[in-house]
Amino acid sequence: MKMKSPTTMIPGLYLTLFFAYLFGPLIIMVITAFNSSTFPRVSPWECFTTDWFGKLASDDKLLAGLGNSLLIGVGVVCVAIPIGLAAAITLSQVGPKLRAALYTIFIAPILVPGVVIGLSTLIFWDRIGTLFNAPYESFFYDGTFLTIFGQVTFIAAYSMLVFLSRIQRFDTTLTEAALDMGATPTQAFVKVLLPFMAPAIGSATVLAFLASLENYNTTVFTIVSSSTFTTVLSSKVRYGLDPSISAVAVIIIAITLIGAIIYECRNRYNTKGWAHVIADRPVLKIATHPGTVAAILGVLTLAAVVFIQNHDSSACTAQVLEEKRALQQQLMEQQSLNTPEKTVPAPTMPNLGPLGGDEGGTSAPSPFGNNIFSPENLGTSAPAEN
Amino acid sequence: MRDLFYDLVRRNGMAVCIYLMLAVSIWVFLLIILPQLTMLDYSFRFNLPPAKIGGPEDVYTLEQYRYFFQGSGASDGINTLDIGILFKTLLSAVFVTIFDLIICYPVAFVLAKSSTGAKARLLVLALIVPYWINEILRAFAFRILFGATGVINETGMGIGLWDTPIDFIREDVALYAGLAYAYILLMIFPLYNAIESLDRNQIEAARDMGANWWQVHAKVVIPYAKPGIASGMTMVFMLTSGALAAPQILGGPSNLWFTQLVYQWFNSGGNWPRGSAYAMVLLIVCIALVLLVMRLFKVSIGEIRQ
Amino acid sequence: MALTFSGVVSSMTKEISLEHVWVEFGEFTAVHKANLNIAGGEFFSFLGPSGCGKTTLLRCISGFQEPTRGKVRIGGEDMKGVGPNKRPTALIFQNLALFPLRSVADNIAFPLEVRGVDKKTRRKRADELLELIALPGQGDKKVSELSGGQKQRVAIARALAVEPDILLLDEPLSALDLKLRQHMRTELRAIQKQVGLTFIYITHDQGEALTMSDRIAVMNKGKIEQIGDGRSIYDHPTTSFVASFVGENNVLDGTVLSNDGKVMQIDAGMGTPFTVESHPAGGPALAPGDACHLFIRPEALRVSRDDSSVNQFETNFVTEEFEGNMRHIMMNTNGKDLKLSLINDGTNAIDANSPVKLDFAPELGIALKPGELASA
Repeated sequence: MKMKSPTTMIPGLYLTLFFAYLFGPLIIMVITAFNSSTFPRVSPWECFTTDWFGKLASDDKLLAGLGNSLLIGVGVVCVAIPIGLAAAITLSQVGPKLRAALYTIFIAPILVPGVVIGLSTLIFWDRIGTLFNAPYESFFYDGTFLTIFGQVTFIAAYSMLVFLSRIQRFDTTLTEAALDMGATPTQAFVKVLLPFMAPAIGSATVLAFLASLENYNTTVFTIVSSSTFTTVLSSKVRYGLDPSISAVAVIIIAITLIGAIIYECRNRYNTKGWAHVIADRPVLKIATHPGTVAAILGVLTLAAVVFIQNHDSSACTAQVLEEKRALQQQLMEQQSLNTPEKTVPAPTMPNLGPLGGDEGGTSAPSPFGNNIFSPENLGTSAPAEN
Repeated sequence: MRDLFYDLVRRNGMAVCIYLMLAVSIWVFLLIILPQLTMLDYSFRFNLPPAKIGGPEDVYTLEQYRYFFQGSGASDGINTLDIGILFKTLLSAVFVTIFDLIICYPVAFVLAKSSTGAKARLLVLALIVPYWINEILRAFAFRILFGATGVINETGMGIGLWDTPIDFIREDVALYAGLAYAYILLMIFPLYNAIESLDRNQIEAARDMGANWWQVHAKVVIPYAKPGIASGMTMVFMLTSGALAAPQILGGPSNLWFTQLVYQWFNSGGNWPRGSAYAMVLLIVCIALVLLVMRLFKVSIGEIRQ
Repeated sequence: MALTFSGVVSSMTKEISLEHVWVEFGEFTAVHKANLNIAGGEFFSFLGPSGCGKTTLLRCISGFQEPTRGKVRIGGEDMKGVGPNKRPTALIFQNLALFPLRSVADNIAFPLEVRGVDKKTRRKRADELLELIALPGQGDKKVSELSGGQKQRVAIARALAVEPDILLLDEPLSALDLKLRQHMRTELRAIQKQVGLTFIYITHDQGEALTMSDRIAVMNKGKIEQIGDGRSIYDHPTTSFVASFVGENNVLDGTVLSNDGKVMQIDAGMGTPFTVESHPAGGPALAPGDACHLFIRPEALRVSRDDSSVNQFETNFVTEEFEGNMRHIMMNTNGKDLKLSLINDGTNAIDANSPVKLDFAPELGIALKPGELASA
């Protein structure tokens, strides 16, 4: 026993480390969304703030991008799911030689770099548009349409894989039974195969929608002059690091977690063991119903939103500002006393004035738009962070 | 072909058969094959203003490929910069792939063989959740983590490992960590699926016959999981070498990823034919590499599954 | 019951004939010139080891497989080009193929649903059929909530809802455990009697075939070896395969010494020559000098009461398998193993340490032309 315990601990320890790698960056990003520092960071901790969320709500570009993304997502689902389903069914019905060839073609869009797919889609429809002498406003040049086409190319392959794994478990004698009992082939398809595929259609839809929402590599080419949530986010990140991006992450992570919790609750609720437990306990039955869990999470979310809207961190941020100013002043005095020649970098000086003037105002907003007040500006310059 | 059509009609009826054929044809021809062919065609053309397209100057040329190999300079020069970027990209992608394989194999094995029921499902869910967060945001998280005042630098300096902040971005450490993170799931799941279907008794039999843990893996589990390993590696390699978001966000200012070259020719360069040629180079080199490795390890493309 | 099946009973007399049916898959011949007639209302079984072509033949009748050559006629009509949904047959699949996502009643009413029958009529009909299979009021259950035997009966009810002339059953009992299987044999036969339909039954289990069928066709490697009722197949096999496949049999290699049309003398290397009856049901006649297989069933062998019996020979005890009601004793003579089955009546006529004399009646020994034997 003594000898064994370390070896049995290793897998657990390794899993812990692995999940730390998986979740660590996300947790840190979440924390930075609540720090009032204008650069996303955990330390030094300045003030707990929810202002970054407010900044998001007024970000029109991001909201417009989100609108486009949702539209594209719906479009992709509508096209990719029927294609993926048809591909999976076709594969399940053709002979082994043709199946291998088709499978290679179908799987290729997953392996081809997204950049290549985006580019080829753009060129192809541009060519077709030129061929028909289509006006520039026509859909051949429309970012939304092109993006749907581009994304469908590989998302159809993802959904095909989902359908394939389901259809492999389909008992083909069910179709034969239906035919034998007088159903036409189409009836057999609609009444037997399609209902069997329904769960896979559900999960493929979710998968396709999420894949569409988060795609960047293909979209960045096909979106042309329009924008999606992801492309706006990307340009935001490349322009400058800003805790409001962390706030976006917080929202997405929250949605994901809520989805995952409800999913897991539903799974547990539907297990046989649990059905046995709650059979004669009506209170527990209601309390653990996925609907109840969803409602509780909904209320919590609402509470969080209300909290975010009403939380006022201006007093704290003003104080931090004051402290920083004092520190800087002190530093300056010290430096000017010790080594008058080597002063602090000049550019920070002029900025002190106008900002310092804000100290009295209690309604000073925390995002100043630049991070010139980051402490490292006092020491080594760190322009690389921008 | 006619037999195939009749067979499909007989099995599914005319209406469903038409749907199947239409959907598959649209996908294969309109979305997959024709766009790729158009891009191939484009890569053999000069970059002409719209007015001249289709005119007498619109002829086939190897100019765009010549540029990739020789650059704009003297006729027998070599475009060391772009070729170097391609090599660096491929090498880094291989490195990231191997790194992912090494860290994912134990996880997949533990998940597949030591966890059951609700616990396994919860762990799988925990694996998927990070993957649902936007790729851009995942890269952004690494940017925060590895920044000059990021948690890594603060911790490292805090416990006295180094004195001045290390520029992880410039050293590409952040990029590799971010890329490895981005596609980790695509490595775990094929491995997990492959190992999960392995009969536990085989492992126990091997152990019973005196194999130590290392031999169990080398002689039983890994050969069995080979198709899973191949598909995981292929997927991660292709996606890593074709990544764009992570290099744009995490890449150092002087280190370009090959996809960024394609992007530049396309967007800021406005040279579509050259962008196409570069994309073709990337595609062909990647596929050739994957096929070569698959041939070496004797796995077929049909075994690739997600 | 008659009220719900009056319509069916009147149309049940369609006979099925297979005329020189061949089925070939590339080089492989799955069915080799099958030729037979099945009368209306008959319970007919195809018996054979797996891979003998019986399922392929069934699929030819149900319409899932077109014969490469030959004709399938149902009620005199050629079925070429008629799809499975247009034939007057209903197939019960080996795995039953009940639709897992539909309720019991919706399963049974499926044939009516696809024919556009309205919901109310469908429900009424399903309830009637549930009554017939002794599962009244279970229509709203899920299929997964039924036991194995209940599923079996639902599958039959669903097939009957088609109002077929012929019910085809593809080893439907193979997934059940032994007790239930034996019970379902009786039940199937009872349902068949009740509805009066033609049943065509596929099985590799001789017990099932023998207990239920009016007639049996024994198949091997795509060929029909013998057609007949259970008794004639068991008592008077016409080929070595049938003799060795149906029931247990001791087989001895022998040579025909004489054959006068009524009895044969056979040297089987057991000391004295054996006397057996010439085959009454035909089969290829054996001439003196021919090699033959001599089959003697374990229960046909008996311990000799005295020294004057015909076909008497000496054996040595090897080992015994005790089964409770039966004792299976392995004996050996001149290096040839023989099995002897005795009813456990409390006596012990076998002495393990000294030679034992056995004999058998001439009509119970069957000499056939040497042919392929069924593997154990």
